[in-house]
Parts: sequence; C-alpha cells; structure tokens
Amino acid sequence: MQVTFPHIGNAYIGIKSTLESLGTDVVVPPGCTRRTLTLATRYSPEGICLPFKLNLGNMIEAIELGADTIVNITGHGTCRMGYYHKVQEQILRDMGFDFQMELTGLSEHKLTGFFKMLKKISNNASWTQIISAFHFGLAKVTALDDIEIIANRMRAIEKEKGTITLLYREGTKAIDEAGDYRSLKNVVKDYRRRLKGIKILSGVSPLKVLVAGEIYVVLDTYANMDVELEMGKLGVVTERSLYLSRWAKRGLFYNPLGIDQYRKVHKAAMPYLKRDIGGDGWETIGEKVLGTGHYDGMVHLAPFTCMPEETAQNIMSSTKEDLPVLAIYCDEQTSKAGMLTRLEAFVDMLRMKRNRNGSRLLEE
Amino acid sequence: MKYKVGIPRALLYYKYFPMWQKFLSELGAELVVSDITNKRTISQGAARVVSDTCFPVKVFIGHVVSLTDRCDSLLIPIVRSTKRKVYNCSRFLGLPDLTRAVVSNTPPIWEIEFDRNRGQNFLYRQIYSLGSRFTRNPLKIKEAADKAWESHVQYKKMMCEQNLMRVEVIKLIQGQMVKPEIRDNNQLMTIGLVGHPYVLHDEQISHYLIKRLLSYGLRVLTPEMVPEMSFDYQSGAQVAGLARSYWESEEDILEAGEYYIGTKVDGIIGMMPFACGPDSLMMNLIQRNAQKAGIPFICLTVEEHTADAGIVTRLEAFLDMISRDKRR
Repeated sequence: MQVTFPHIGNAYIGIKSTLESLGTDVVVPPGCTRRTLTLATRYSPEGICLPFKLNLGNMIEAIELGADTIVNITGHGTCRMGYYHKVQEQILRDMGFDFQMELTGLSEHKLTGFFKMLKKISNNASWTQIISAFHFGLAKVTALDDIEIIANRMRAIEKEKGTITLLYREGTKAIDEAGDYRSLKNVVKDYRRRLKGIKILSGVSPLKVLVAGEIYVVLDTYANMDVELEMGKLGVVTERSLYLSRWAKRGLFYNPLGIDQYRKVHKAAMPYLKRDIGGDGWETIGEKVLGTGHYDGMVHLAPFTCMPEETAQNIMSSTKEDLPVLAIYCDEQTSKAGMLTRLEAFVDMLRMKRNRNGSRLLEE
Repeated sequence: MKYKVGIPRALLYYKYFPMWQKFLSELGAELVVSDITNKRTISQGAARVVSDTCFPVKVFIGHVVSLTDRCDSLLIPIVRSTKRKVYNCSRFLGLPDLTRAVVSNTPPIWEIEFDRNRGQNFLYRQIYSLGSRFTRNPLKIKEAADKAWESHVQYKKMMCEQNLMRVEVIKLIQGQMVKPEIRDNNQLMTIGLVGHPYVLHDEQISHYLIKRLLSYGLRVLTPEMVPEMSFDYQSGAQVAGLARSYWESEEDILEAGEYYIGTKVDGIIGMMPFACGPDSLMMNLIQRNAQKAGIPFICLTVEEHTADAGIVTRLEAFLDMISRDKRR
C-alpha cells in the first residue's frame, strides 16, 4: 500500500512522519508547482476554490508516482472543504486512475476517526503505536511552527537579506529528517539559537502585520505566493492568526471536550457577526477587532470564491475598529507581480500612517 | 396603522414566502415585499458589496436598499439546517450581519435562526421570539405557526402535483392570479432545469430562461416539480456521489438532477450564479453523471455583466443540438 495525502503547507511533514513511524509506505506528493496547478485546473470544476485544485493536483502527481491510497478529509458544515472528497474521487476515477480513498472527519469523530483511519492504513498497528506515532507527528508540526514564528519575526530586521530564509529552509529540512524526539529537540534548539543569533539591524522598529484568513491559503506558501516572506523582505514583521499545530490541537483535543479556544475571538466578532458561518470567517473578523492597536495592519488571505471569507470581508470593512486591511484573493489567475505591487503600496501606506502618528514604537 | 414588515424578494423568499406571510399576517402585521428585480436593484446591490460576492446576494442587497424607507423592520431569517447535519451555505448564515454592515440605513433586522441540530426547543424559542413582537400570548403564536406550516406544506404540494412554478403558486396564494390551465404535456422535448429557485425564478437573474424555453414550445421541468422522495436514499448512490447531500440549498438541485437523469429527460440546463460555492461542486457532479447517462447538459453561468444575447445564443445552439439528435 502506497499512501499519499495533500500537501497543505508544512502539514505533510507531520503526516508523513506519523505514517512512516507506523511502517506505512508513503508517497509524498512533489511540492506544488505551476504544473500541479495547471494540471488540476484542467480537471477541476470551473468555480471551485484554490485549495481544491491544489489538493487535486497533489493527488494526481502522487498517483503518477505510484500511490494507490489517498488520505482525504470529509465532514459536514457550511464550507466546501468537507465535500471535496466526493468530487475529487469522481474526477480521479474519470481520469482512469485506480486508487482507494481513506477519509478522516473534520467535523465529527475527529480524533477517533483519525486514529481508526491510521489503524486501517497501517495494517492494524497497535493503538499505543498509533498514539505515539501521532504524538510524534504533532511534535514535528509544533516544532515547524516554532521556528517559523521566529523566522517571520527576524526576517524583517536581518542585516544580510536572505539569511533567515536560508536558515529556515534548512531547519524545515532538518525537522523533516529528525528520527526521534531527542534529535527533534536538538534540531529545534539549534535552529532557534541560530535564527535568533543572526546579525540584526539596530535602531529600527519594524511594522507589524497580522496575517489572517482561510486556513489553507494562510498555511500554504505556494497558495499565498510567499506573502509572509515577501513582507519580511519589505521589512515587516508578520504574525499569523492560525498555526497548524495550534489549530490541530484545538480541533482534536479541545473542541471534543467542549472548550472553545477561540472564545475571545468569537466574542470580539460578536457585534459584527453573531454566529459561526463556517470556514474561518468568524475568526477573521474577531482577529481584526482584537488586532486593532496591536498591529499596524492586516493581510486578509482567502481563496477566490471562498464563501465564509467573502462574507467576512464584506462585514469587516464596516467595523468600528480601524485596522487597515489588505485583502488578497488567491487563485490560479493571481499573479505574483500584482500581489507584490499591492503589498508594497500597502506597506508604504502603513509606514506613512505611522510616521504621521508620530513614530510610535511598538512594544517588542 | 399596521406594523410593516419588509421582505426582500430574493434568496429564501422563493422557498419560504407563503409560510412567512401566513405567520406574520395571522399575527397582524402588514407585509411589504420589494418589487420584482430590475436593473436598478442589481446595480444598487452590486455597488455596496465586494465585487466577488455571489450574484444573488448582490441582488438581495439591492432589494434591501429598495425597502429601507418603506417598512418598519426587515425579516431576514437564517436557515442553518432543516435536516440533521445538513447545513446551509455560509452566505445565508451571515446575511443579516452582512446587510447591516453594507447598508447603513437599514430598518431594524429581525433575525430568527432555524437549526435542526439544536433540537425542537430551539426552534420553538425562535418562533416565539419572532411572534412575541406582536403578542405575548403563546397560544396565539402557536396557532399562527401551525397555520404557517400548513400553508408551507400546501405550497410544496401545489408545485409538485400541479406542475406549477414557485412564482405562480405564490401569486395564486395571494390571489393575484387565477389558476393557469394545465400545461400540455405532449410537447416535443422535455428540458429539466437545475438551479436555485432564486436564480431560475428571478427573471432578471436568469435572463427570462423559463419564459424563453416555454416560448419555444418545450416542456420545462423545474426542481420544485420533482416529486419528493421519488427515489430512495437508503439504496445507496444510484447516481454515484449524489446520494447524500451536504448543503441545505443544494438538496433540490441534487434531487432534481437525479430525477432528470433517472427519467431520461431530453436535456438538462443548469444555471448557476458566478462565484456560487456550492453550485460549483454540485453542477459538476450532475454534469459528470448526465454525461455518463448520455443526457445533454449545459451549464449557464450568470452574473451582472451577462448579456441576453450570450445566453440566447448558447441556449439556441443547445436546443438545436438536441432536436437534431432526436430527428436522427
């Protein structure tokens, strides 16, 4: 059995490590490229959102490499994400591929469903094995987020441009290759130190921008055209509203226990949007409200035709809290040059705004 | 003077209007329904929201704008789910908040939420909260709600049994129209339409699709004419992938699609608004299955910039293709 799964940013490292420590053969789809997207767009429905296309592209390229089992997500809810698998399966079957699709729930039986799925594809591994494999995968994802947070903070103030990006890529690779907890811990410690120890510009107070929006495009650097990296190059510190590790922990452990980790965010969004509209729409509005005063601006990422994010964007423009928002819609038609132009203009505007208000130093 | 409740003639209006009307008029309110969509409605709506919002929502906002100074409050119910674990599209759920955000001078909005997953009590509380704006007497509210439900059931029955379109039934109920004669069923071709009621029955949005088809002398089936439960969900996927629905608003579409494919209509025309999330997947499923069953399918995408001529050209080409095929 050759198992494959969609990339989803850096999530593949965690999933890969979980499956590999269970002794399953894994085919990691090649990283997203122009080919992935073109291939997927050809076979996808016309008005579908970018995550669907990229996931489908990942699956096609993995099947070409010999995968015969696809791990996919299912669920019910208001967003399209939970219905992807049905259409994707039909598309792949119509293309003449022979495969098996294993589903794991996004909205119910999250943890148990995931474990059951793991048991099925790992040829009946014991529960302890599954749990420890899953725990290790989660540890890797946490480690990745850990160094990414530092990288996004330091990139804006590095003296020699490009050092951080190089180090970060090295670190990602090292985490991917770490075989056990001890080496993982050492790798993280090492790269934390190296990332923090680079030469920095003195006497600058960089702009701080919040990156929020739909989970897939926020996490996947191909989908969002490296928006955080580009902002770092422009000398802007970015912070995300969601990181995969936190999101996974919330979804898998807290929600089943009835703990709403986002209560603060939801409460902040209440005056403008009273209920969950699926996807990450509610959270996006809440993040904007909460972020006012803490950030200089916000970049709102969403796939084109995303239903929750569009509603959120419509509502967000009328909030009392006045945080400049740049909405970037990602699609196969979006060009990087267009995104960069708007990003530069946005950053310039934020700088001017700050200069006008007296160079207020952000607490760092 | 009676209290005026405004109802925009868009989105859920087509599905639930008789029910709302009965409920509110039983409790002594006067209903103000916005006028039929026109060019002005569309441009006013489109000017207020982000450009890639879906077309029907833009039209909805246009209707709200036209109602702002004509009523005391607006009724915008949220239908989250009417079946367990089947939800509605995000855009419906955020509708009252979106309206408030983009139309600055709206009258107070009455929002009641229907959510099957939260149990019967939640439903009763919501109905009571709406009814209590008129009377404190729960019995009176219950009576009105029962009557409203009856008229909703009757509405659905009339469409299905007498082969009537939604708009015709609404007019019949309001007494604005006498009963049309039963349509001749022996026409040349039967065309099945798939699409949301607020797309197919809004003539500005659909570019008079139904009227055009009828004027060609065709027998037209719309999703609401499909007998309910004409096939059984339990027996699994007859047409693979269509079995379990996911969105509340797509249920009709899926059932209709499956019915058309099962009864072998001569052609299926799908109409979806640009940037419609659910439709992008569902139309594709129906298209794939129609293709496998050998039934011609065309999907027309509409938005505010769509021209009549473009729709007509494609429609005629499609119909010509079917009739040539039939003659052969």
